[in-house]
Amino acid sequence: MSEKDVIIEIKGLSKWFGKFKVLDNINEVIHRTQVIVVCGPSGSGKSTFCKCLNGLEEFQEGDIVIDGISLKDPKTDLIKLRQRIGMVFQRFELYPHMTALQNITLAPLKVKKVSSKDAEKKAMALLERVGIPEQAGKYPGNLSGGQQQRVAIARALAMEPEIMLFDEPTSALDPEMIKEVLDVMIDLAKSGMTMVVVTHEMGFAREVADEIIFMDQGRIVERGTDKSFFSNPQSDRAKEFLNKILF
Amino acid sequence: MGAFDWKVIVDNFSFLMRGLGMTFQLAIIATIGGLVLGTLVGMARISSRFYIYYPATVFVNILRSIPLILVIFWFYFLVPIIAGRPLGDFLSATIAFVIFEASYFAEIIRAGIQSIPKGQMQAAYSTALNYRQMMQYVIIPQAFRNMIPSLLTQAIIIFQDTSLAYVIGLKEFLRSASIVDAREVRSLELYTFVGIVYFLICLTMSTVVKRWEAKKGKMR
Repeated sequence: MSEKDVIIEIKGLSKWFGKFKVLDNINEVIHRTQVIVVCGPSGSGKSTFCKCLNGLEEFQEGDIVIDGISLKDPKTDLIKLRQRIGMVFQRFELYPHMTALQNITLAPLKVKKVSSKDAEKKAMALLERVGIPEQAGKYPGNLSGGQQQRVAIARALAMEPEIMLFDEPTSALDPEMIKEVLDVMIDLAKSGMTMVVVTHEMGFAREVADEIIFMDQGRIVERGTDKSFFSNPQSDRAKEFLNKILF
Repeated sequence: MGAFDWKVIVDNFSFLMRGLGMTFQLAIIATIGGLVLGTLVGMARISSRFYIYYPATVFVNILRSIPLILVIFWFYFLVPIIAGRPLGDFLSATIAFVIFEASYFAEIIRAGIQSIPKGQMQAAYSTALNYRQMMQYVIIPQAFRNMIPSLLTQAIIIFQDTSLAYVIGLKEFLRSASIVDAREVRSLELYTFVGIVYFLICLTMSTVVKRWEAKKGKMR
């Protein structure tokens, strides 16, 4: 892939929570339309890593450059940058006082200032895409976990992002609901969206990941394609981890 | 003193009601003013900028550590010296109440905002909302729902607290009763009447709070 296709470049990223080093010299280059799966044991820093990419978490060393825009630069307009990066959270984080439709239209209405008619039309199309148009008028409290997460994906997509971040999108779901969310994500990956996905869903990784990153104690311990990572992990930690989650 | 003679209430009813009107006026202004100022102070209390956080914290901690009656006295005696002219009992009581109650409202607001999970803020930011939009559309509406019982309870307390303005001679409800008493010497009837009126008004308000909480419980 050419240099021009690089959309995210992470250079020597380090972050501390007080004295504890959560991210330790992370380097990574992500190209447009690539799907990167990040896995690793809990506490390995993968969630924090994901939240650094859209500036929800600050970092102390190194830099993240998104399509030529440096996150380290204090002049960078994070609000503007976030319009190009959607995010889906482990616990959905839908706004409980708004309907599914209102959750999706809020940012387009207030940030992009589109008309309410256009915002609603677009939101309905997105609900259609994630397979639950009939739930538009319901409040999150009346939706199943899988439905809530699909609304959350639609909410992120409503800003027409170029990059989508997923922070353990299926870990809070009941097993029977995982598939409906993964199916939406697989569709999205196949449509050419650039994605960074923190997950332990190895089936998903096998199907769509261009690269799998294995993190432990704030470092990238191993990286590979799905084939090399699953059939021939190099580090002991990765072997141990795979043994635990695959069986 | 013989049996209860309620005639004193009937004879002075309009005077007493004027006092009650004054009590309501003070309570309503103190609640609205305290809520507005308290919201600003409460938001300042959770600011990450020390020059916003620190003064707000000092304000809250000082006012919550001194009795209201002292604050009422201070504003009555001190502000005229600073302002160079007397403010009158109503204005000085109003300022004292707004500032004092703001410190209590600030803590309710702060706790309400902090009760909203951090993920809500992150979700709002991740869709490119700015701080004001995040607060206005996502955090405050949710926090406010959680806060309503506490806010109403505080309003009930304010309503009762207004009787302390008695000490600077403001003709609120209790003061009006004591003025009548000085003339007619019917303490038992007057203060029983005052007590019953306070009781009925506060009972009504707290019933509203309970209803609200029950309704909120059902929505979950």
